[in-house]
Amino acid sequence: MKTFNLVLCGVGGQGLITLGRIIGNAAIIHGTGVLISEVHGMAQRGGSVIVHVRLGEPESPLIPKGRADAMLCLELLEACRNLIYANNRTIIVANRRIIRPSIPGVKLPSIQEILSEMEKIKLNVKVVEAQKLALKAGAPLSENVVMLGALLSTKMLDEYLRVEDVERAIRSIFPEKIAEVNIKALHLGLKYKQHQS
Amino acid sequence: MLRGLLAPVGSSVLLLGNEAIARGAIEAGIGFAAAYPGTPSTEIIESLARVASKLGIHVEWSTNEKVAFEAAYGAAISGVRSLVAMKHVGVNVAADPLMSSAYTGVEAGFVIVSADDPNMWSSQNEQDNRFYGLHAFIPVFESYCPGEVKDLTKYAFDFSEKMRHPVILRSTTRLSHVRGTVVFGEVPKIKVKGKFSKDPSRWTVIPAHARKLRLKLLDKWNAIKEAVNEVPFNKLENYDSNILIIASGIAYGYVKDSLKMLDLDGNINVLKISTPVPIPEKLTLKALESADKVLIVEELEPIVELEVKKLAFDHRLDVEIYGKDIVPQMGELTIDRVAEAIAKFAGVSIMPPAELKLNIEIPLRPPTFCPGCPHRASFIELKRALAQLKIKEAIYCGDIGCYSLGVLQPLEAQDIIIEMGGSIGVANGLAHATNQMPIAVMGDSTFYHACIPGLINSIYNESPMLVVVLDNRITAMTGHQPHPGTGLRASGEKSRKILPEDIAQGVGVHYIDVADPYNVDEAINKIKRAINYVKDKRKIALIVMRRACSLLIGMIARRKGIESPKYMVDVEKCRACGICYDQFGCPAIYPREDGKAVINEQLCTGCSVCAQLCPFNAIILAKKAGEEWEKLYLEGE
Repeated sequence: MKTFNLVLCGVGGQGLITLGRIIGNAAIIHGTGVLISEVHGMAQRGGSVIVHVRLGEPESPLIPKGRADAMLCLELLEACRNLIYANNRTIIVANRRIIRPSIPGVKLPSIQEILSEMEKIKLNVKVVEAQKLALKAGAPLSENVVMLGALLSTKMLDEYLRVEDVERAIRSIFPEKIAEVNIKALHLGLKYKQHQS
Repeated sequence: MLRGLLAPVGSSVLLLGNEAIARGAIEAGIGFAAAYPGTPSTEIIESLARVASKLGIHVEWSTNEKVAFEAAYGAAISGVRSLVAMKHVGVNVAADPLMSSAYTGVEAGFVIVSADDPNMWSSQNEQDNRFYGLHAFIPVFESYCPGEVKDLTKYAFDFSEKMRHPVILRSTTRLSHVRGTVVFGEVPKIKVKGKFSKDPSRWTVIPAHARKLRLKLLDKWNAIKEAVNEVPFNKLENYDSNILIIASGIAYGYVKDSLKMLDLDGNINVLKISTPVPIPEKLTLKALESADKVLIVEELEPIVELEVKKLAFDHRLDVEIYGKDIVPQMGELTIDRVAEAIAKFAGVSIMPPAELKLNIEIPLRPPTFCPGCPHRASFIELKRALAQLKIKEAIYCGDIGCYSLGVLQPLEAQDIIIEMGGSIGVANGLAHATNQMPIAVMGDSTFYHACIPGLINSIYNESPMLVVVLDNRITAMTGHQPHPGTGLRASGEKSRKILPEDIAQGVGVHYIDVADPYNVDEAINKIKRAINYVKDKRKIALIVMRRACSLLIGMIARRKGIESPKYMVDVEKCRACGICYDQFGCPAIYPREDGKAVINEQLCTGCSVCAQLCPFNAIILAKKAGEEWEKLYLEGE
């Protein structure tokens, strides 16, 4: 089985470590091998966070440069920062959102600038309005799961894990009420194209 | 079904490396475990604490690594299998009993987990603690993935007990904080009570005894060198090649993946090492026999390399040996770095991936204090107090914890950070050797860990300084572990609260005050009074800044359904001065295009400090706090 390399990136507090746990548990339910690498400590304190997810038969935890099969980017500046892992075939599922780093007087590019620069170098980007969909699901903190739904809609993970495995993983991790809104968010993500303006 | 260290035998469970170590310890039948939290080691004890009462074992957060080590050693010399865990620099704190423990040995299995941090993700250095094994004559085990480290931990306990000797299990960030599949084995009957048998010739290391113990230790080391040849986790993958790669610990995983990437898998012999100290000499000699050249891949220092080179020299082997001349010594390994080294070693070419570069500048995103963090408020108040008193010659002697982030913009209020407890220790020197005013800033957990001897010293030797204890009621940076001031123990039962101001009073500090960082003017006035006391009396003053960690309170409040207050900006009154988002730097506040402030309602914790700092009263209460809010914050539970 080919190893599938999935980069998760975003800002500390966006639920990246939880997202890794959901994917990892879904993989185990499906019977797929998995290694997920995280860095703790800074993860909740607003810094850049990257989680390496390797599915299949990986022997080591880190994704080589330029070898990500997919990237799930919960924030656009972080998407740009982690492009070293991408190539022109990498599917980049990106949240249409910028979070300001809290540095005095920091200058930020606009969402439009970033997206058009990405287009110029022919990246394979799917943009998701995850904040909007998370609010629609009734759970503003479920952007992470919306994004996972959007990635699953590409079917590129089918060999490694399925939607029903993710649902079971969510139910095994969260209490019932929180699990239900997250599953709703997952399905809004799966149909993200229908919901985008 | 999928979670928890007590899932049924045969379950496949997704575990962090640290949780896998904890499960391995359970499968080895441990009765005692202790630690002081420290990234990347924390989850070992944290996960054991969750199941301690079910298993009937003793699990504790100790006040520091030395105490944790001594406590676990006490159990092991009484016949109870025990584990102590710490981050790499924690072993420095515990080094004194560590060295002696090799002289006395132990009765039951005793595993010392050292979680090293190559790349310094959350540490002040990247020391390689396998050196402690060579230094102390303690064997070192290391693994490469969560699935294996569970079994290796169990094996390490058996090995330790068989040799009656402590064992170091060395992990690193990319094992401790990697999740992988772990298959659960049997849990034996657990022994939680032993009996200490008196034997002063063994347990008291006075010089007369220590000299005899030292001779015994050297003999025992020879027996250990022999025994590691039988460790099944060391193995030779022989493909009849005349070139060999020796890979220790996590390097094995990177070597395997790199060989696949280079299409060399199955063409080069690989010796997997799980006991880097001492290396299995017989197996290594067998691997070297058929090799013309060897590459040693290991993270950080050339320890296996030293041993292999010595072995080759002693046996007059004609073999080319490469190691740190090709494999980077600094930072953690990756497939990229290992593949590059192997390509160079094997004389094959490797294509770097095409670089994808955007034509935009991406700003850095350093970690920052959370919205509502009481430390941010304390630093602002400290800076304002000094400015109002026109004191320019102050030195912020910082320490290790979340508040180390105070070194960054916009606060820039940590001038020295060297190690746990260093704040007050270094201030003792500055107080006498300079005319500047030392301000020792430490967190509550760090205060208990290593600051108390420094505090006593400052009274004994009359070192004038201001001591500021940032008391957020918990060990925050490592993920909220309780400490002696919290009123809770590791597995959740209540304990007596031991408060920093009571300790200060007990050791004879005359000027003690407690301030609430959320009350800006009052806090500034209290700090000013304390500074004036230090200046006038030339003595120590101590002030406790007390407010619970806002991240923790936010989580508890959400769980309990207690609503936090919210603040908003009155756009008419806002003059776009930027004090709230640039000087105070709360990440819940950001500027609009015209520079006026906006508060993100989801992120705002309602601390009110920005509203108190705003010179135009433009930040106003948008939503009142729920009942119980204030109580939750002041008590932290």
